Amino acid sequence: MKHAGRGIACMWYPIGFTVAANPSSAVVKVNEDGTATLLTGTVEVGQGSLTVLGQIVAQELGISAEDVHVISADTDVTPMDTGAIASRTTFVTGNAVRLAAAEAKSILLEVAAEMLGVEVRELEAANHQIRVKTFPEKRISLADVAMGAQIARGRPPLGSASFNPPTVAMDPETGQGKPFAAYVYATQITDVEVDDETGEVEVLHVYAAHDSGTAINPALVEGQVEGGIAMGIGMALSEEILFNPEGRQINPNLTNYLIPTSLDMPPIDIDIIESYDPVGPFGAKGVGEPTLVPTAPAILNAIYDAVGVRITDLPATAEKILMAIRKKERSNVKGLEPGEGDT
Amino acid sequence: MSEKPTKEKTADLGDLLAEPRVGQLPAVTRGPIPVVQALTVGANQQTPAVGQRVTRLDIRTHVTGSTRYIDDLAFPGMLHVKILRSTQAHARILSIDTTAARAMPGVVATLTGDEIPENSFGSSYQDQPVLAVDRVRHQGDGLVAIAAETEQQASDALAAVKVTYEPLPALFDPLEAIRPDAPKIHRDNNVYASKVIIRGDVEKGFAESDQIFERRYRTQMIEHVPMEPFAAIALWEPDGQLHVYSSNGRITLGRADLARTLQMPMNRIRVTATFIGGNFGGKNEIRTEPILALLAKKTRQPVKATFNREDEFIASTTRHPIIMDYKTGVADDGHLIARSVRLVLDGGAYASWSETTVGKAAILAAGPYRIPNVHVEGHAVYTNKTVTGAMRGFGAPQVAFAYESQMDEIANTLGMDPLAIRLLNGFSEGSISHTGQVLQAVALEETLLTAAKRSGWMEEGT
Repeated sequence: MKHAGRGIACMWYPIGFTVAANPSSAVVKVNEDGTATLLTGTVEVGQGSLTVLGQIVAQELGISAEDVHVISADTDVTPMDTGAIASRTTFVTGNAVRLAAAEAKSILLEVAAEMLGVEVRELEAANHQIRVKTFPEKRISLADVAMGAQIARGRPPLGSASFNPPTVAMDPETGQGKPFAAYVYATQITDVEVDDETGEVEVLHVYAAHDSGTAINPALVEGQVEGGIAMGIGMALSEEILFNPEGRQINPNLTNYLIPTSLDMPPIDIDIIESYDPVGPFGAKGVGEPTLVPTAPAILNAIYDAVGVRITDLPATAEKILMAIRKKERSNVKGLEPGEGDT
Repeated sequence: MSEKPTKEKTADLGDLLAEPRVGQLPAVTRGPIPVVQALTVGANQQTPAVGQRVTRLDIRTHVTGSTRYIDDLAFPGMLHVKILRSTQAHARILSIDTTAARAMPGVVATLTGDEIPENSFGSSYQDQPVLAVDRVRHQGDGLVAIAAETEQQASDALAAVKVTYEPLPALFDPLEAIRPDAPKIHRDNNVYASKVIIRGDVEKGFAESDQIFERRYRTQMIEHVPMEPFAAIALWEPDGQLHVYSSNGRITLGRADLARTLQMPMNRIRVTATFIGGNFGGKNEIRTEPILALLAKKTRQPVKATFNREDEFIASTTRHPIIMDYKTGVADDGHLIARSVRLVLDGGAYASWSETTVGKAAILAAGPYRIPNVHVEGHAVYTNKTVTGAMRGFGAPQVAFAYESQMDEIANTLGMDPLAIRLLNGFSEGSISHTGQVLQAVALEETLLTAAKRSGWMEEGT
């Protein structure tokens, strides 16, 4: 017989890592036509970070994403970066590219102020223009400013910058300190169905609410959440490297090491909770790693809700769940307290 | 058996739902969004750029299969490299004989660890040999690299290498490895990284608690399973610069490790990473790059190594299994008063990113909850198993499994709604973390309420 269950789990997760400083740096060049080129030492690993970094540059310069060309991942060409790790790219590299773009922009604003006959502080870059904040009709195209800056005034608009998150070293004895500049939060609720004859679990639905600070690109945040949940389902139910008694892996292949396939993936409802981080670029934090963190406990809590057994060693394979159900049934026959089906 | 555990809706829950307490954050006002929202047409042309559903710069090449990964690259005269790995979990290497292998068809050169100028690497401690020379510590340690004209010829030649071992006692259980009398895998202590977090007085907290909950949780060893197994190519440019193409997610560190292992100036090394087909933490260190650089130098030809799936499992890193002992003291009204946590991480044969993992796991272990008395200690322990290192979440998925399982057990025993107990204890704006940090932009409660609302948690009364 199949039993339905629902489980909830929440989590917190820090952005960046803490053992040492973890700086990023960037170079932004604004071309004579008002497009821009970003040089970053981070590496695109499939998550879409280059797109996000391009959007941050575009935002700072008041241009659109397609106006920014991103060059990455070449130690001879791009400046240093601590790397695509620790959910840090949007927050740390994002701040470095924002600061580099701001430096290029300051040259453009100075040149535009001369061209328009106003003070620099009166100006903003928006919608491909540099314009007077209080009187937007007074404006000049970013392309004209960039061309003028380089050709007429000899001031090519480029910027370079670095960023390192503000942290406070932890006390070695008590661990007290400020190890991270920012944390994100998330909750996932899962619906499952558990077959009490086979122990098999089907994840029917996941409701995921994730804080990422400002979502620079909501579509990419959703992509991270979906991918993280796939990884979390594998952790909860099926994935495990097994060893023989001599210490040799016995399932180093995708036939016997079971990751979820598209057929195992449930519908996922995603809510992006936008908070505004005072340090992150345009309020952004990060989202890469935390997406999988609440998935396994939400599933395990749902299994308990469905059949009253609490699996405490992952993965909760069908075999383990079935054994726990049997053990619980035997306990009930003996008149023990119900709900004591813990493994 | 089919009956559901009772979860009462408490009066508290109603109040909490009516009035979110998330500091300066606005209440949830947005209506439902579709499960999958199409990318906005024209988003790439819009200003302001932030917040737009911009189409990824690289999506067209991914979808049409025209993205060029490392394994898609080839250079004239390029050789292929395969690595012989240990058949012992822990042993002294008595001899390595490559004579027969060098005579095999297509074989151009071999490389052993004693030919590597500085044969060690590692992010915290440089305790891992690029190729093992005198001792193997797990069944993934590389011993000999063979460069041949084809991948098949390199694979075939591996069988012709003769290695003799003197087996040493092996440790597979971190709880055994942590004992003072256990055989040592490196140096004089198998515990190689620890983290302690202390706040308040946990024993006093337990004494003041109405109920104590204690349980041990365990997690498994997990592989990242990136779509693209690790791959690299090394070649020497005519001007003497070493150019390495590598699916490495941290090229700045990768170049530093290459410079160190090869004893070369950094400006004579160029590392290019192209696009990477999934990292998840498994591509955060050098793997074969120094080997390829030296074989390319020896043969004066470009050389490539692409891991097959088994290489990826046994010779890259994996997620730490953690044994987690949780003890939590609560008041009858559901408030958490004290929590002690002991984490023992199966740290595998080499340190890799364990120091970071034990740190993050310890910092996060007590959960996103206001608990006045906390004591956490975490230890990473050497075993003779596959190297455990960075993986998406750095210890957080493991400890979240423990703290969230225990939260549900507490709620169940107290007859509270699992949502209510989390709302009652969860961090909010300005809460102090377990390391004494004042937290900003805390959206925990809003995520709880939003997920609850989206799923119909309150209506169902589950």
